[in-house]
Amino acid sequence: MELLEFAVEKALEMGASYAEARYEEKNGTSLAMKNGNPEGLEVLAEKGIGVRVLVDGGMGFASTNVLTKESVAGAVKKAVKLAKAASKVRNEPIRFSEEDFHRVSYKVKMKKDFRDVSPEEKLEILRKIEEEVKATGVNVPMRYLMYSDQLWKKVFVNSEGAYVKSKIPRVSVTYNLVVFENGQMEQAPFVQRAFSGGLELIEKDEPWKWALKDVQALKRLIYEGKKPPEGKVDLVISPEVAGIAVHESVGHPYESDRIMGREAAQAGESFVKPHMLGERIGSEVVTVIEDPTIPNSWGFYLYDDEGVKARPRYLIKDGIITEFLTNREYAAKLGQRSNASARAINYNREPIVRMANTYLAPGDYSFEELIEDIKLGVYMVSFNEWNIDDRRYQQRYIGREAYLIENGEIKHPVRRPILEITTRALWSSVDAVGKEVEYYPGTCGKGEPGQGVPVWMGGAHARLRDIPLRRP
Amino acid sequence: MFDVNEFILKKAKELGFGDVVVLGYEMDRRQVRFANNEITVAKNWHERKVELFVELEKRVAGTSITELSEENIERTLETLLSNMKGMAPKEDYYGIAEGPFQYKDIPETFDKSIVELDEPNEYVERAINAALEEGAKRVAGVLYTDHNKLYLTTSNGVEAFEEGTGIEISVRAFIGDLESGHGTNSVRVLKKFDPESAGRKAGEIARMAQNPEQGPEGHFDVIFDPLAFANLLSYMSFMTSAYAAEAGFSFLVNKLGQKVASEAVTIKDVGNMPNGYGTRKFDDEGVPTRETTIIENGTFKTFLLNTSLAKKYGTETTANAGLIMPHAWNVVLEPGDWSKEELFSEVKRGIYITNVWYTRFQNYVAGDFSTIPRDGIFLVENGELKPIRNIRVSDNLQRILEGIKALGKESYHIHWWEVDTPVSTPYVLVEDVGITRATK
Repeated sequence: MELLEFAVEKALEMGASYAEARYEEKNGTSLAMKNGNPEGLEVLAEKGIGVRVLVDGGMGFASTNVLTKESVAGAVKKAVKLAKAASKVRNEPIRFSEEDFHRVSYKVKMKKDFRDVSPEEKLEILRKIEEEVKATGVNVPMRYLMYSDQLWKKVFVNSEGAYVKSKIPRVSVTYNLVVFENGQMEQAPFVQRAFSGGLELIEKDEPWKWALKDVQALKRLIYEGKKPPEGKVDLVISPEVAGIAVHESVGHPYESDRIMGREAAQAGESFVKPHMLGERIGSEVVTVIEDPTIPNSWGFYLYDDEGVKARPRYLIKDGIITEFLTNREYAAKLGQRSNASARAINYNREPIVRMANTYLAPGDYSFEELIEDIKLGVYMVSFNEWNIDDRRYQQRYIGREAYLIENGEIKHPVRRPILEITTRALWSSVDAVGKEVEYYPGTCGKGEPGQGVPVWMGGAHARLRDIPLRRP
Repeated sequence: MFDVNEFILKKAKELGFGDVVVLGYEMDRRQVRFANNEITVAKNWHERKVELFVELEKRVAGTSITELSEENIERTLETLLSNMKGMAPKEDYYGIAEGPFQYKDIPETFDKSIVELDEPNEYVERAINAALEEGAKRVAGVLYTDHNKLYLTTSNGVEAFEEGTGIEISVRAFIGDLESGHGTNSVRVLKKFDPESAGRKAGEIARMAQNPEQGPEGHFDVIFDPLAFANLLSYMSFMTSAYAAEAGFSFLVNKLGQKVASEAVTIKDVGNMPNGYGTRKFDDEGVPTRETTIIENGTFKTFLLNTSLAKKYGTETTANAGLIMPHAWNVVLEPGDWSKEELFSEVKRGIYITNVWYTRFQNYVAGDFSTIPRDGIFLVENGELKPIRNIRVSDNLQRILEGIKALGKESYHIHWWEVDTPVSTPYVLVEDVGITRATK
């Protein structure tokens, strides 16, 4: 990409001490079906260049989708000017960590290339969900189904010798199903299945089976659901619930830009401070890993958007805080090397510290072993409502599908058990972790303006002791 | 850009498309982000694109085109055509609005001095200083300037142009780890811009919030600051779209004509509001924007509609297209007649919430949700404010609307990261709000 080299050289000429240029092109299709009606086809086709520079210790960023030399030169000029002006309102100059850079190219292969498949054939995936849901005989008056595929092409160049070219296809199916039975209504909203790769991954995953399972579980909840037990009980959380918990209360607070206050407006700060590296935050069985390199994962990448090579990061190891997520700016502040957490959602966004795929590492318990000695407890399989404060310390997850555990056995469904707990109490309560890991997709929100990035969240089952569960 | 629009329309007609809507954008946007009293990054965006909607025998498709060469436009249209030919129709598609329309200029939506503004950093420094003067130690936030041009052409005789500007700031002030406050200011013309007011408010709340104690749980009368209530109304605005109702994302479904809020509550969407951050002269099919009463004295009157959905339900469009999904422009909760002092003295033992975030629903159709206060939270006891922390609002959206007891007489226009659809709201007193906290 000549324009990228041109942008970097131009920025250096104009006085930048560091410059990077990133080309991104996204192409794809999305389809929706509402209550059996196709809602139409959306064709995504966008591309542009983003330029980020450091001048006198100030940072400037500019982007354009007009891909001419003049327009790119205009963006460089603006970025340099903005950086210079910003440098005057700084207490200390921004510095980047020293890194090794590479000239590399990588791509995720598609066995079934979604570009060769007609929209009508893609619509069949949604139709299959419709049919399977209808075939259950359960009354589902509101059904909203979405299909999306996107091919992301990127080229990254910086003034320190990096050249990273990548091609990552992403494919997903999302559904919202509202079950109405016996005068009661329950909902499975925004349930998503998502991968990096070709259409074969969706076909293999069979999202219609997930929809079917949700609809049947909600019907059973309506007819057989009882109040969850109150007071202190044991709680077993599924990989899906463990996933949201590690994402919200481990991944986010370990983002170094949050820790250092840069994201105070808007996504917030963190209860974690730099001096807490090495401190215990959970029990010895808790290990949380952040790994962008998991093949076909929704959060997949091999080099981040600063050109640094990605690797698994151990955020918590055996209950001890061991690593934060860093980009070059905050790695330098912490006296470290970047662990490649800089991500930008598109050419028109700056790279900031983000998660990719966060999971609770497996232990050595089978599911039967996890529940066998529980006298009274709850098994939370999935959740709807969740949230956490902006320091990432007070969180809440409400079960959608959940069951009573009594004398080591799974019994009837329970309605909306509420786990409302502090981060330290949550991870200190875990006394056993399952063997098998599963991942669930999500869109992680952060950045100003917002940058929703694809992530996986997951892990193994976990057993939490003496949890004061709430009822609605 | 109208020549590009005309070219697209002509080619689309030649290819046999029915309804065609071409919406061209030119956008210049600037941002200054700051944290720890210094600028962390400054940004500029320059974008040009065309959003295209086409219909072919009830099959509909949309795309955006950024490379506006004739070859690429023709290629895009041909690709759409070949993709759409094999597709099943959208049976409930009923067309776009019949133009042409007359448009009125809306006051205070364009200001040349924002376009010509060379350097907005002084506004950032003024906001930071205002917060520091109130006692803040660390100040973070964002400033934007906007300059947009819109060019709309449709196959039903619409040709419409609009140029708009805006400038806004969002300021968060901190003292320690647990003490913070937030203020915003969003306007369309420079002379109304008041960055100090945002900084002062953020700093003042942070100062008042010092040494918070663990908050209580139970049911309380709650005074929502405009910033906090705007968050709930912004989430609710999505639920007022007929599309959201059909898709199972609205507690208002099947409630037309029913009581859904207290008598005191009248909520409107005002697309043509002077100085409104979401104000537009026309919607995406060219219908002049207007004022639509969604809830009148507590009764739910209408969903927000485009032409196709309006025809489906045998009524008129509310000028809220979105060709697929109608959406609100500026949500307005009509103010009441209480002064701020009267509101606070009405509360014997309650809670004042200055801001919330992370509003999430357990059940959209039932309206069950929770949201987390951030920034200063206060226990209100006989007119006195005591800072508290770590609580959560856990309730139901309709019940919150039904529980509204009093509305302040002054309205505040709120737009920031958490309030995507701009909202004008006063201070709001709600009875008996569910408050929970972590149990371990």
